[in-house]
Amino acid sequence: MTTQAFLKTSSNLALKLEQVSKNFGALTVLENLNLDIQPGSFVAIVGRSGCGKSTLLRLISGLDQPDTGTVFYDDQIHKRLNGHARVMFQEARLLPWKRVLDNVCLGLCKEKKDRALEALQHVGLESKAQEWPSVLSGGQRQRVALARALVHEPRLLLLDEPLGALDALTRIEMQQLIEKIWLETGFTAILVTHDISEAVTLADRVILLDGGKIDLDVAVDLPRPRHRDHPKWIQLEEEILNRVLNTPES
Amino acid sequence: MNTGSSLPRWITGLTGWVLPVFLIILWAVATEYSWLSSQILPAPIDIVRAAINLTVSGELAKNIAASAERAGWGLLIGGSIGFLLGLFNGLFRIAERFLDTTVQMIRNVPHLALIPLVIIWFGIGEAGKVFLVTLGVFFPIYANTYHGIKTTDPQLIEMGRVYGLNPWQLFSQIIFPGALPSILVGLRYSLGLMWLTLIVAETIATTSGIGQMAMNAREFMQTDVVVLAIMIYALLGKLADTAVHFLESRILQWHPGFRHR
Ligand SMILES: Nc1ncnc2c1ncn2[C@@H]1O[C@H](COP(=O)(O)OP(=O)(O)OP(=O)(O)O)[C@@H](O)[C@H]1O
Ligand SMILES: [Mg+2]
Repeated sequence: MTTQAFLKTSSNLALKLEQVSKNFGALTVLENLNLDIQPGSFVAIVGRSGCGKSTLLRLISGLDQPDTGTVFYDDQIHKRLNGHARVMFQEARLLPWKRVLDNVCLGLCKEKKDRALEALQHVGLESKAQEWPSVLSGGQRQRVALARALVHEPRLLLLDEPLGALDALTRIEMQQLIEKIWLETGFTAILVTHDISEAVTLADRVILLDGGKIDLDVAVDLPRPRHRDHPKWIQLEEEILNRVLNTPES
Repeated sequence: MNTGSSLPRWITGLTGWVLPVFLIILWAVATEYSWLSSQILPAPIDIVRAAINLTVSGELAKNIAASAERAGWGLLIGGSIGFLLGLFNGLFRIAERFLDTTVQMIRNVPHLALIPLVIIWFGIGEAGKVFLVTLGVFFPIYANTYHGIKTTDPQLIEMGRVYGLNPWQLFSQIIFPGALPSILVGLRYSLGLMWLTLIVAETIATTSGIGQMAMNAREFMQTDVVVLAIMIYALLGKLADTAVHFLESRILQWHPGFRHR
């Protein structure tokens, strides 16, 4: 298998979408979308509620199929869910009947089970390994979900508003954690978010989705770690925010 | 200051028994002074005596064993069929389309209405009673298993798919554990129906069992034995309920609603 060779040579994945469209009945959510994502980059997708961000992410992951067009992983047509990509959802989606550690082990083969504890350490929750998910706080649950995604060493991590339900403080902590792990591991990351400042803080590139098309595609060329009082940061955030607010509802 | 919460545990545990004990004393007094005829309600002490006599003669143990055996077989057969059918219809759309209407039709026949037919089919042997209990316990387990499977959180299933679980793992790690609380509710309903069915079946046609013991006693106007039989039914019902409680607290440890620690 050629994908096996890719796994060895590069730990991150190049993603390409070609003329991708998706309809739900009469509703066209995505229309002839083209997107090229560099391996190892961090891309944020922003846009109004209902503009199709989650739909796009589901197409990329393989959970859904586009009506027309193709998704490429490393220049190969991607059709079904596979081990290269992992998704983190807005809700943690932990299994309440499995202890935290067993949740992280989900879908791991037996030989790799000891890596789960390592992943928990990574997100600072090794002390909760034997707890039930129901006793964790919202932020802790999302950290477990992050550990569960990371333990598979995905080459592409898809994040669908994973921090949307967290309070401002926990949110900033989680952003720093995600950035740190991304810098260490180097996977390709695509983050869907409502929060423009989150996008500008984390991403190399911010894509604004509107009316089923890419409305804005800007590179964020700021040194990391980024500070929110950097004049260029403020300028960028404002620029994107204005663009979101000015585009009429489609 | 709240003294109620600082009482030793065993005292608070006993408060539930105050009323029953009081009622029994009232009952004993009422029969002692013949406010109540012993033909209507025997004195508590007579019931204890009857229990001792029947225990010594071995009749009580024999009858309880006979009843428990019927209950057990009926629960095993009816429960298994209900569980498997519930799984099947919950998991496979085709099975559901094909079978659900039939099951709903069977459900709407009160199973106790079948007693005359059951006597014609099976006579008064064991099979008829086991058959009735089977019918009685089948539906609650079927319905709750089906419901539990159908209401599994689709988000969790989607997550399982993203994390590479195969269909068997999806079932064993997500769908089945998610359906367990509901299945246990079904089991509890079934146990109630199991005793109810058995009581009716045993009083109508049988040669052994607690119901038969009560019917025999009625012919000889032994009210004490009749009341004893009723109390044993109550006790067995309570026992079955406690067993399910125990199962719940073991299996559903993860569930905040069942955590006892
Ligand atoms: N399975 C589906 N069936 C029908 N319509 C759908 C389905 N999934 C999404 N849609 C529609 O597609 C549109 C885009 O949905 P999507 O979930 O992608 O939006 P979103 O950008 O993620 O919004 P939000 O920011 O609120 O999460 C919405 O109008 C939604 O109603
Ligand atoms: Mg969404």
